[in-house]
This record gives sequence, structure tokens and C-alpha cells, in this order.
Amino acid sequence: MSPPSRRLSPVARRVWMLTQLAFWGAVTVAAVIVFISAGGRPWFLIPLLVGVTATISVPRLRWARWRWDINEEGIDIQHGTLAINRTLVPWVRVQHVDTRRGLFEQAFGLSTVVVHTAAGSHTIPLLPAQEADELRTRIAGLARTEEVADAGLERADADVGA
Amino acid sequence: MSEPTPTSGPEERRLHPSALVIFSADALRNAAFPLIVIVGATLFGGSLDTGALLRAAIYGGVGLAIAVTVGVVRYQSTRYYIGPEAIHYVTGALSKKVTDVRLDRIQAIDVHQGPLQRAFGVFSVDIQTGAGKKGGEIALPALVPDAVEELRAARPQATSTEPAGDEPAGPSRRLAGRDLAIAALTAGQLGIVVPVLAGAGQVLQQLFDERRGEEAVRALPHSTMVIVLAVIGIVVLAWLLSTAGAVIAFGGFTVLRDGDRLRIRRGVVQRSEATVPVGRVRAVRVVEGIFRRPFGLAALTVEITGYADEASAARTLFPLVRVRDVRAFLDEFLPELADDPSGLEPPPPRAYRRYLLLPTLLGLAVTVGAWFVVGPYAIVALIFGLAYGQARWRAAAWRLADGRLAVRSMLLARTTVLAPAGFRESHTLAQNYFQRRAALADLEVAFGKQTTARIRHLEATDAQAAWSAL
Repeated sequence: MSPPSRRLSPVARRVWMLTQLAFWGAVTVAAVIVFISAGGRPWFLIPLLVGVTATISVPRLRWARWRWDINEEGIDIQHGTLAINRTLVPWVRVQHVDTRRGLFEQAFGLSTVVVHTAAGSHTIPLLPAQEADELRTRIAGLARTEEVADAGLERADADVGA
Repeated sequence: MSEPTPTSGPEERRLHPSALVIFSADALRNAAFPLIVIVGATLFGGSLDTGALLRAAIYGGVGLAIAVTVGVVRYQSTRYYIGPEAIHYVTGALSKKVTDVRLDRIQAIDVHQGPLQRAFGVFSVDIQTGAGKKGGEIALPALVPDAVEELRAARPQATSTEPAGDEPAGPSRRLAGRDLAIAALTAGQLGIVVPVLAGAGQVLQQLFDERRGEEAVRALPHSTMVIVLAVIGIVVLAWLLSTAGAVIAFGGFTVLRDGDRLRIRRGVVQRSEATVPVGRVRAVRVVEGIFRRPFGLAALTVEITGYADEASAARTLFPLVRVRDVRAFLDEFLPELADDPSGLEPPPPRAYRRYLLLPTLLGLAVTVGAWFVVGPYAIVALIFGLAYGQARWRAAAWRLADGRLAVRSMLLARTTVLAPAGFRESHTLAQNYFQRRAALADLEVAFGKQTTARIRHLEATDAQAAWSAL
């Protein structure tokens, strides 16, 4: 089981760093406010230390683990920091696909691809915007109905190899 | 109402005139809450004199008049006709809405009969496509039986699979008499039980608080007695409610295999009939509820694509079967998905303590927290945590053979998911840090919005092989 080969945009690390910073920053500020108003021991050092560690380590680890690819079977996704999840979404189950861009993503020229199945959705986040648009078009083209697949019209095979 | 004709010319059809009443009742029900508030506020807002009574009556009358107008307009503006290619449906007076559903796209024609429909001898029909919207893509709330048959006959698949009359074409089974009683008594619908318990608990607490002010010390032993009695009363009441609810929902439950469809009829007050194309059934769940498991009984439910938003009763294949008869039942009604829920393989022995760990830790946390309040009795939480972990470990089992996947797990009910592996929507292999060190892995196979077969702590090599094979 070799992991899929494609990675997210290297800029993703910076975006995750910012989100970690925003989260732990908010927690630390809240803790500091509690400390100033209520006194007690400087517990706010804990979120500060955890925050610094998380901001440095989590984005790197997450980026190193995040892999994806599309092959003849479907969309292959691997992600996680402590727990590693490996998911396969077969082509016959893809209902529709869209891209979305949050604030951070717009600022860094990135985009998230969301693949919908009847059971839920799967995301490939933080791809360079143009690559994401191409991927969306490609996935939409490769998604096929069950009838087509059953009839043996494996048009996906030719496309994937290209 | 026009006569149904065998030729499928684009002849315009209208609903049965009783639709007027049904639409009006709908409008009234939608506006019921604001209307009650307005009328109630008028009545009880000021002093209760003739003026207020008159005003309340006027507001009520205006509300009723609006509802009836809505009913008339909706009835007048709703038309449909069956073309050679599609069913065309037009509705709306101010904003017109036209819906065309291609005949070959019709996945199912669901027929219901509510109390109003029954009073008029008509049927409510939902024409379902795969779009998965709640209710039908075309909803016709009042049709005479002939019109329903005409719609059914319009489907191109109809000729081969639909029987001419209501005669069963394939195997059928009905839930009645003793089985219905058992199903109802063991239903244990927590959705009903929990809110009742919570509500009653709140009332009880209020009573208790009021008491405390008056006779704090003396009341204590007496109050404990009252609480015990009240709890027993609530449980009995909840159980009775649950039983009555189950009888109403599942009374006269009939499942019928009819060519490539399943026809499911159920309900006492609201009679409904659902037609489920077998091709849309993704998975079967064998649900052994806590009251049923000791008797070796289970309910069979199905995951149907596009039905995720429908009421849970629409997803019941049969409310009561013996677990050892599940295979035979499926062979008869759903051979496409038939599999045996027994003979599954448990995760490796070294996964045992991992199943115990989390519930035990939770139990320990509760015990530590509760120790300060109730003393040594708090140990019950720890024992309960251990027992729950043990029960989940004993429930966990799986099998992947001949392209069929079977996964058993337990939350409250023990549930076995049976499905051909190829029906999955996606599948995931998950491994956390500790599992990587112990060469264990979780396997998660999603079959639909309601059904994800998940088994924890499998041998990593087995799980990887299964992941690759799926």
C-alpha cells in the first residue's frame, strides 16, 4: 500500500500555520484576560506553549502526510497528523464536484475541491487555484454513472493515463 | 375528474376535488401556530369580554378564509398530464411552477393515505426520481385509485413488473397479531422515551425544589420514595407511549417483492405505501435493539440512495425477524443483498484492551467526579464503563467474502450491516499513532448517509488487504 503521490500546495503550510496561530492566539488571549482579572497562577503559559509547538509542528506534519491522486478506480486521499486516514472514492459514486475558496485561500491564491457522494463529501484542500479548477473539471469528466460503468465503457482509463 | 384512458395522449388531468380540503388543511396547519398566538393573545391579552371574543372570532375566521382561499387556488391551479415521454406538472397561481419528469427517470411512485385522504377515498401520490429531495419531485395529494393505476401504467418498466391489480406477484409477509404485539412491546423507541423522561425529570426537580423550602429535613426519606415511584411511573409511561407509537407506525406492515421492486405498506392512522426499486437499496442493517437482543429478535432496515431525508419508518424493510431467520428472509425478499449475519470474525485478541480502554476511562472520570457527591456508589460508573467496553468488544466482528461485506458493531443496539462491497460510496482505512505501533487499523465503509460500517482495531494487514480489495 504505497501512499498516493500528489501533494497539496506548499503554501498550505503557511495557511495552516495562520489558522493554528489564530486559534491558539485566541485561547491564550482569553487565558491572559482571566489571569489579569481573576489572578491565580499563570495558567496562560500552557496554551502559549502548546500553541507555539502546534504552530510549528502540526502544519509540517499535516502537509507531509497529505497526499492524493486520481487513478483508474477513483480518488485516493490520505491525510491526518496523529491518525492517518486513507480514503478511496470510486468514480461511479461521485455525484458532483465543486471548488470553494475561503478568506485565507483567496489571499494565497488557493482553492479547495469538494467531491460529493450519496453518503457525504470529501475534500482536497489548499490546491493552487488553477490546479483545483482543472482537477474539478477532470473529476467531473471521470465521474460516470453506474450504467455506463456496467456497460464496460471504461472511458476513464484512457483519460487517467494522459 | 376525467376518465382514465388507456391511450397516453397529453390529456389534462386534475386532482380529485377533495384536494381543495386537503390543501386548505395543509395551509391551516402551516399557519396554525401564528394563528393560535393571535387568537389566544386577543382572548387572554385583555379582559375576557364580548369584544375580545368577537375579535378573536374575526381573526380566526379571517385565518380560516385565507386557508380556504389558498386551498381553492392551489386546487384550481394544479394540473398534470401524462405525455408519451414525461409527466408534466403545473402548479401555482402567482408564480407558476412547471415540472417535467421523464417517465424513464421515475424511480418510484409512493402512495400514502392520511386520515383526510381516507375520508374521501383518495390517495396521495409522490413521484420519486433519484434526486433525493424530501417528498416526491411531483406531489399529487388527492387522486382516485384509477388515476393512481394510470400513473403506474405510464412507466415504461411498468408492463413487465407491475401486476395488473393489487394481487401479490411475489413473496409477501405481513406483520400482524402476536408478532405486531412483540414488535411494539420491544420497540423501545428512545426518540419518544428520552424527551418524556427529560420533561418529567424537570417537573420533578421543580416540585422537589419547592418542597425543600418548606420541610427540608423531614421531607428527605419521603421524597426519595416519591422519586423512585415517579421514575418507575415515567418508565412505564414512556414504554406505553413507545408501544402505542410502534403500533401506529407498524400496524399492518406488509412487505411484498414485486419483480425488481419492493412494495412496503404500513401504518394505522397514516397508511402509506412505498415502492422501492431494488437497484437503489445499498445496504441492509440488522438492528438488534436492547429489548430485542435477549430474545434473538431484530428489525431489518435498508439504506436507499435518495431516501436519506425520508422518515425512518420509510427505511424499514421489516420490523421484526428472528436473527437466525435473517438469511432466509433476505433470500426470499432481497436475494441481491442476502448474507448471513452470523459466523463473523472478531478483531485480533490484542485489540481487546483497546475496546475496554476508552469506556473504562470515561467511567473512571465520572466515578472520580461523582465520588464527592454520592461517595462509594460512584464506582457503578466505572463498572458500567467496563461492561460497556466488554459488550462493544463482543459485538465487534466482520467478514469480507465473495464480495460481500458484513460488519457488526454496537452503540446501544447491536447492528450488523450487510452489503455487497461494490455498493460502497467510499471506504477509509484509519490508523492512529498507537495503532501503527501495534499494527492495528480501523476500517470504515460508507454505504449512504445513514449507514457507515465501521470496525475498529483490525489486524493492519487484513484491513489493508480489505481496503485494496474494496
